[in-house]
Amino acid sequence: MSGAIQGAQRLRAASAGNRALVVLMLLLIGLTLGMGQLEPLFRAMFPDLGSPLYSRASFLDLMLAHIGLVLVSSLISVTIGIAAGLFVTRPVGREFEPMVSSLAAIGQTFPPAAVLAIAVPLAGFGFAPTIIALSLYGLLPVIQNTIAGLGTVPQTTLEAARGNGMSRWQILRRVELPLAMPVIIAGIRVSVIINIGTATIGSTVGAKSLGTPLIAGLVGNNLAYVIQGALLVGLLAIVTDLLFERLERRYSFGG
Amino acid sequence: MIELKGLTKTYADKNVVDDVSLTLDTGEFGVLIGPSGCGKSTTLKMINRLIPLSGGRIILNGDDVIELPAEQLRRRIGYAIQSTGLFPHWSVAQNIATVPQLLKWPKSRIDDRVDELMAMFHLDAAEFRHKYPHQLSGGQAQRVGVARALAADPEVLLMDEPFGAVDPLTREVLQAEMKRVHQQTGKTIVFVTHDMDEALQLATRIALLNGGKLVQYDRPIELMVKPENDFVREFIGQADLGLKLLSRRFVHQYQREPSLEHHATLPGLDHCWQLDAAGSPIALEGARLDDDNEITEVKPEWTATPDMSMKEALSRMVWFRVMVLPVIDENGKLIGEVGMQGIMGIESDIVAESGLNAGEQAS
Repeated sequence: MSGAIQGAQRLRAASAGNRALVVLMLLLIGLTLGMGQLEPLFRAMFPDLGSPLYSRASFLDLMLAHIGLVLVSSLISVTIGIAAGLFVTRPVGREFEPMVSSLAAIGQTFPPAAVLAIAVPLAGFGFAPTIIALSLYGLLPVIQNTIAGLGTVPQTTLEAARGNGMSRWQILRRVELPLAMPVIIAGIRVSVIINIGTATIGSTVGAKSLGTPLIAGLVGNNLAYVIQGALLVGLLAIVTDLLFERLERRYSFGG
Repeated sequence: MIELKGLTKTYADKNVVDDVSLTLDTGEFGVLIGPSGCGKSTTLKMINRLIPLSGGRIILNGDDVIELPAEQLRRRIGYAIQSTGLFPHWSVAQNIATVPQLLKWPKSRIDDRVDELMAMFHLDAAEFRHKYPHQLSGGQAQRVGVARALAADPEVLLMDEPFGAVDPLTREVLQAEMKRVHQQTGKTIVFVTHDMDEALQLATRIALLNGGKLVQYDRPIELMVKPENDFVREFIGQADLGLKLLSRRFVHQYQREPSLEHHATLPGLDHCWQLDAAGSPIALEGARLDDDNEITEVKPEWTATPDMSMKEALSRMVWFRVMVLPVIDENGKLIGEVGMQGIMGIESDIVAESGLNAGEQAS
């Protein structure tokens, strides 16, 4: 009985969450495609500005470029992060754990702006240095959570897996990874959300992103540009976060 | 059949298992027991090579375990542990199917096997198949753990204190079930515990270890009446040795013809059963502590069956204050009786059987 009520409550909460997600996604798409329609609004808000709507590139272009930056850098962070996390939790790599953890921590201590400054002379302007900075910056949460997630698998479960005749690879694939998955996904979530925000500074070295109107606005003292860029970045971060929340829920089991 | 030959495990120059040799025949229920740190768990885990051997050999049905690939060996051996080690992200059915799946059985065969095992452990398949371990009680989870260990019909079943983490009541039920499953399947079982009562309840052979050395390896009854040394005697516990002996004895060994009419023998023992038309006992006249003439209605709670342990029979006599219990068959028919006087004879009886008085018996 109480189970049914709880279930119904959870269902209602989930559908409320769904509705919020749908509304925010529509808002994100609408603003990306139809920011131009809001020109009168911005003109009314900022009557002193000559051009209150960023128009050097379409917002769709900027959005796609931004997502591209985040996707590529996150893919690199996740691949390296999970691989490193797996390596240091295997018997062969166990002694490297402190080293890898502190390297990842250092990666996050360096401000991305500083990494950009160092990367530009090496990799030139634009896309490449931004990817390097973002990948490094997003590495720590993935590594940390991979190690933590694998650490939550109970010893008795591992012993049972071994005792029942699973090979190391089978234990990893069938037991350790599925059990660690919610924590690993939480790490990826943090990493991606950080990178969505941080990708804006790529514009300072010439990478096209939603940071482009933001930086242009800051440099040219045009608050309308700043708002337009920030609004889209913020929305993108919230929508992505909600999507990850659903993904995490799918991978967690039981209570 | 499992043979341990000079089995040794060394950690940091210390032998935690020291030259242990014993043979467990097919179908036997072997219990490794001893104080904590005696090497019983280590010995068990060397059989399926979860712990590598330092010395000696283990022969499983003619194969030296060292010569088999570890994973293959483990799929031939069932393994159940304390607090179950069930995979929390798999349903009950998936957990039970673990080893058959590794052995790549066809799906229909796996499904049939899962159903069969769930029936064996009285787990309703419709209700439990799709439940997850966190939705099970301790006893249910432990049953699933044992079912998983038995799934691929292994040659041997290893159990490492499997009932150590459940409450005493559940433990008793699980022990009784384990005994039944052992009789049903005829599996060779190696079982680790530190609980002597559990060992006496389940074992056909008990290996008592201390400090890594095998102190005595015998049938339970011999361990009790012919302890090798003071350590064995102390470990079994002298105080309730009589009761422990009774727990290994059964009503059918003490049962005698039921008394269907009064005969004046000793006060308090003169009694007579009243039967109904079907031959079931309905009342007991006499044989009460207080009043020989009292008539006591027979209740199921104080009847005995031939396969009941004498310990339980005695407990029923004491609790219901009767000197004699009716022994009934599965239809409820009176087939005999068992009384206090019978129990008193136990000491000489056991000693004679174990061969201590062999000379006397022969003459």
